[in-house]
Amino acid sequence: MSGAAFRRVPGERVLAEAAAVRHRGGGGGGSVRGTLYCTNLRVAFVPALGAQAPSSRTFLHSEYDVALPCIRKLVAASSFAKPKVLTAASSLKFVPEELAVHCRDFRVLRFLFHESGLQPQAFRVATAIAQAREAAAWPGDAETALEDDDDDEEDEDEDEEEEEEEEGPTLLFESLRDWEKELKRQGAAGWRVSAVNERFDMATSLPKYLWVPSRLLDKDLKRAFAHFEERRVPRLCWHHPGGSDLLRAAGFHGASDPQREDVRCLEALMLAGHGQCVLVEAAAELPSLAELQLAHLKLRALCLPDSPVADDKWLSALEATRWLEHVRACVRKASEVVSLLAGRRCSVVLQESDDRDLNCLLASLAQLLADPHARTLPGFQSLVQREWVAAGHPFGRRLGLGRPSPRDEAPVFLLFLDCTWQLVRQFPACFGFTESYLLALHDSSFVPYFSTFLFNCQWQQGRTGQHRASGQTYTPVSGWREPVAVAGGGRGGAPSRWPPTVWDWRLRYSRQQRARFRNPAGPRGGSAPVGPTAPQPGGGGGSAAGAGAVWVLAKGALWPQPQPFPWRSKRLPRWVPSLESLGEPEPEPERGPGSSPLPAPPPRGPLLPCAAGPAIRLWRRCYLRAVPEGQRGRFAPSPAGLAEELRLLQERLRAWRPAAPRGPEEPAR
Amino acid sequence: MLGSGAKAAKPSFVSYISPEEIHIKEPIEKEVNPRLLPGELLLCEANTVYKYIQEDGSNRGTYGKLVCTNFKIAFLDEDSASDDNEPQFKNKIVGENDITLQCVDQIYGVYDEKKKLLTGQLRKYPEKLIIYCKDLRVFHFCLRYTKEEEVKRIVSGIVHHSQTPKLLKRLFLFSYASAAPNNTDGRNQTVMFDTLEDWRDELERTKGNVKYKAVVTNEGYRVSEKLPLYFVVPICVSEESILKFQGRGIPIWCWSCHNGAALLKMSAFPKEQDDSTSQMQKAFLDGIYKTISKPPYELLKTDDLSSSLPSLQDIQTAYTRFKQLFLIDNSTDFWATDVKWFSLLESTNWLEIIRRFLKKAIEVAECLERQHTNVLLIEESATDLCCVISSLVQVMMDSYSRTKSGFQSLIQKEWVTGGHGFLDRCNHLHKTDKEEAPVFLLLLNCVWQLVQQYPPAFEFTETYLTVLSDSLYVPIFSTFFFNSQHQKDTNTTGESLKIQSGPFKFLTVWDWSVQFEPKAQALLSNPLYAEKPKPDKSQRKTTRFKHQRQLSLPLTQTKSSPKRGFFREETDHLIKNLLGKRIGKFINSSDEPHNSFREFYDSWHSKPVDYHGLLLPCIDGPEIKVWAQRYLRWIPEAQLHGGGTIATAAKILDLMEEVQSLQVKMDEEHSQAISRDVQAVPMLRNSARLSSLFPFALHQRQSIKPALPTSTWKDLEDEDDLVKRDDEFVDLTGDML
Repeated sequence: MSGAAFRRVPGERVLAEAAAVRHRGGGGGGSVRGTLYCTNLRVAFVPALGAQAPSSRTFLHSEYDVALPCIRKLVAASSFAKPKVLTAASSLKFVPEELAVHCRDFRVLRFLFHESGLQPQAFRVATAIAQAREAAAWPGDAETALEDDDDDEEDEDEDEEEEEEEEGPTLLFESLRDWEKELKRQGAAGWRVSAVNERFDMATSLPKYLWVPSRLLDKDLKRAFAHFEERRVPRLCWHHPGGSDLLRAAGFHGASDPQREDVRCLEALMLAGHGQCVLVEAAAELPSLAELQLAHLKLRALCLPDSPVADDKWLSALEATRWLEHVRACVRKASEVVSLLAGRRCSVVLQESDDRDLNCLLASLAQLLADPHARTLPGFQSLVQREWVAAGHPFGRRLGLGRPSPRDEAPVFLLFLDCTWQLVRQFPACFGFTESYLLALHDSSFVPYFSTFLFNCQWQQGRTGQHRASGQTYTPVSGWREPVAVAGGGRGGAPSRWPPTVWDWRLRYSRQQRARFRNPAGPRGGSAPVGPTAPQPGGGGGSAAGAGAVWVLAKGALWPQPQPFPWRSKRLPRWVPSLESLGEPEPEPERGPGSSPLPAPPPRGPLLPCAAGPAIRLWRRCYLRAVPEGQRGRFAPSPAGLAEELRLLQERLRAWRPAAPRGPEEPAR
Repeated sequence: MLGSGAKAAKPSFVSYISPEEIHIKEPIEKEVNPRLLPGELLLCEANTVYKYIQEDGSNRGTYGKLVCTNFKIAFLDEDSASDDNEPQFKNKIVGENDITLQCVDQIYGVYDEKKKLLTGQLRKYPEKLIIYCKDLRVFHFCLRYTKEEEVKRIVSGIVHHSQTPKLLKRLFLFSYASAAPNNTDGRNQTVMFDTLEDWRDELERTKGNVKYKAVVTNEGYRVSEKLPLYFVVPICVSEESILKFQGRGIPIWCWSCHNGAALLKMSAFPKEQDDSTSQMQKAFLDGIYKTISKPPYELLKTDDLSSSLPSLQDIQTAYTRFKQLFLIDNSTDFWATDVKWFSLLESTNWLEIIRRFLKKAIEVAECLERQHTNVLLIEESATDLCCVISSLVQVMMDSYSRTKSGFQSLIQKEWVTGGHGFLDRCNHLHKTDKEEAPVFLLLLNCVWQLVQQYPPAFEFTETYLTVLSDSLYVPIFSTFFFNSQHQKDTNTTGESLKIQSGPFKFLTVWDWSVQFEPKAQALLSNPLYAEKPKPDKSQRKTTRFKHQRQLSLPLTQTKSSPKRGFFREETDHLIKNLLGKRIGKFINSSDEPHNSFREFYDSWHSKPVDYHGLLLPCIDGPEIKVWAQRYLRWIPEAQLHGGGTIATAAKILDLMEEVQSLQVKMDEEHSQAISRDVQAVPMLRNSARLSSLFPFALHQRQSIKPALPTSTWKDLEDEDDLVKRDDEFVDLTGDML
């Protein structure tokens, strides 16, 4: 009875199981027979042998699998009683005939028991799920659940010996090397990696390494920390090949009392050698976290299969969720930032009060628009790793997978994925990855096995890791070995890694599924370097140091900001453009009138997405997954399929040539 | 030309160009002459007309000549004289700056910043002319620098020729046909349904010839001028009964399903005051129902479309509101509507109408496919809503209708020969606005939903549908310019006003080479069309393949047969005892249809799609979408440079090409045959430079500004630096693209 095909994660225990359960595809359509398991980590359904092969049916094999923290609601129904929402506290008073699992990732799994005639099992499983969910092990804080080793051998298909990703590795930005490598790739002369925060003694939520202007010494840099919220100082995100720089920072710390010397450092940090600096208030025109969460909840309610909204009122209901409005606002703001960067040489500083939410979103969206490398698969993964994971986006709190504090929940990362999807949809030929990939990432963010989305910052991750290492050494079973290959050997000699990063896609997705992550119609040549970057006077020159114009981007326009800092102190020099810099017309001599408009135009311009109403769509493959018609039969022969056919044909031709038989066999279509 | 008294530009938005600059930009008066088609006459013209380039909301534009002929309104500038900027996807008949007279929707004049609708007589002449087109283009012409008498002539000329009632014979169609003798056969593979053979072939193709016959009763239009010369009725219907009420009350065959069930249509009797007449009609109808409900005919289900679907008036109202969302004067308007986009869209009701028609078509398909019931569509004239539903049903059920020639034949059968009043519904002659209703456009919109939901099932692309919808307004093709076959016949052979009184030979729209070069035509075919396996190998296998889905519903089959028997008895009983009652109503009124519809719909959607079998559209709220290509194509704010589906389409075409060439290579090695050169599609090569609006974007040389409005930099610069800076800014993005 125990499913031969049921593979357990190390440390996973089956709490209850029910055989001969039917998983209903929804809509009165076909259902699949199989066994339902409840473990201490997840609810899993394993189709019986001979049932439809899952890979041929749907894209994600996770269709049947849901991690316990990902369950939002559990409803038991029977023909004799009213449907009941199950919690650990409530006791089930009837034998359920159907169990509906509402997931946070918009899925609704329905399991039917009535045919099996094994009613005690149905009862047991339902109760077990309700209780396990409450007591769900949270690998981040309660590793005990994972420690008792199972000798149950994983028979991971060993034919999945992965060929090394040809496009280069995903940088995790945990080591100095990764930061240096990326800085070099961006061609950011005038910037250096500072290890000032290596022990997290400057700011716990910041990464170990920071990109700061080369001219600024660490001792000067240290002066700046105190004047920002959470001590998150301005630092480089991305260097535009045209010379501009994108920075991000937290809000100014209102209570601090900066010295004259401190202000000089702040200026140097923010101007980064440019004559002009534009402050972009990230929160302006973008939704607050609470609004975001509300929109997401409304969207989820709307997309449920039994949503009460009539078809002819669907569009206005969609509008009323305001989710797409928020998506549009983000896309629009990111493109404003990008056109600032591309338009003239300056430094653009994204500023958010704590620099851990919308800044992550804006910084990464802007790079997606402007940097072709970020649109490759490894480039995108590195981007998420740098701007979200390393930068300290509080994934644990925002995704709401942890048990406490639902009020911190806000789907900022999911909003980012939606924005990315919009871009992929608008520019399908510019991305190395596909919608399927984004969907997989979306789903994975609810799976609490991955270090990527578990922690709130690098510091926390480090602490948990140390704790683990001192406790017990984990012997990897074959399927879950340390994913050094993915990290690209960046961390030589690092201890074995548990939990793994999400980027090790082999853990959850088959080879065929992973093949659909890559966009064959995407840009050729993968990670093209960002092109020849003429050494810019921007970072190194330092001629305009100490004085410059500061502008604020608001409502799509720039406003001069004579007083950039909030501290009203007579001791401070007034922040106005100095006379010299006023005398110079523009600190961009190459772009004089009449001459060619740009000295060295970037190899490829930024994508300019359309944020207009008709152009921003609902990500239906993600949000409408619970509605079966929305999903089924929609996968047209993709370019991937076509490419596959091409490969087959070529192979045939090659095989056929030497033999050269006279057989009238036609090429298979 | 530019009068010394040219006032300073005083437009509603910030002008970056002073009149002086305009003076500089003014072209050296180079004589540009319009290219005229055969039979086309120049009626009036005006020089130094300034055409705004709408894109950037500034007053940028070009000078040129505005002309009005008996075919079109055209704007000619120096660019159009040189052929360097040949757009990639070019219509040979209607150019980028041409508006056929039938394509003009509304004309507004601007007087002191106020817009006024121009119709008929004018007292005062406007300083600006705004032309809204039926294909959703918007043209802004400034007449401020034009001579006064030229303004008078051109404005009244345009208004007169495009907005006032016209005689049919004055359509350009006739001048063109008499001036350009049409030698092309024009038939290609499209079945025109103007001969008896065409109908017989169609009967044979659908295996309807056992129970239905093509009749010649209407030769010489003895029965009715509204009916086609030849049509198909059940074998048991006699000639007398056809003649009795001019074809009313006669079920006319549209199509037969593989299981023998047929789709029929019937024009209903008008509401009769006279009691005895209505009594007589009732008796007649009952007789007809009785004969065609007997074996071998299937059970009959009637559906009165005028009561179960939105009326023509509803359709017209919804479309009028809907198109307003896309007829946009400037980008300020666009962003104003943008905020409430979805609720505005919903309030037009247009998408809801599309949904209801699709739903009705699914219901009909369910009766035919699963209940093996004949379906009789009833409508006053059987030429409007009937056409939409019957065409949709065929597109959904008959994979032949999803090929290009099959679809064209379908349009011929149901619409052109079927007697849809194109002339009245499109209001080509401006006789009365009351008859206008975009019924055919509604069909294209519904088919588009299917095309975008199941692209591999269709041999044609959405571009094909868009181009087809544009062809509605090109009066050189006879296809969409008659109300019936009778009207066409009498006007073709009849007494002509022209010198040549011989019969006209009209072009048909299906001859796409008239409008497009071969490489542009390539965009009309879907490279990813899942072609049906060749039927010549084993006929049986293919037919089974085709009905696979139907066979895979064993439950319904076993269930439905006893039910049918029961129903049959019941119907007979009814006919015997309740004469005078509408049977259809009885059958319809049972509560069964809705549930079985849902069941049918759901069970179909839970199975993988067979692209050659039955195809049901998803009609849930999120699934009905706006036909972006048709409606957004002229709106620069919705444009994506280097984006859109076209970006991958190029790659797909490349791949297809390679696959094809490999297959050719393999064939070659087989038979040592001479290689056929594979048709390349060179047009899409440089896809990175194309925009999402391809192939329809205005082929402007200027590029779009980045998302950041210019006002941003305005604060940075001095006022006089502004113009230069703005130019630079635009150039910059041009380089980056």
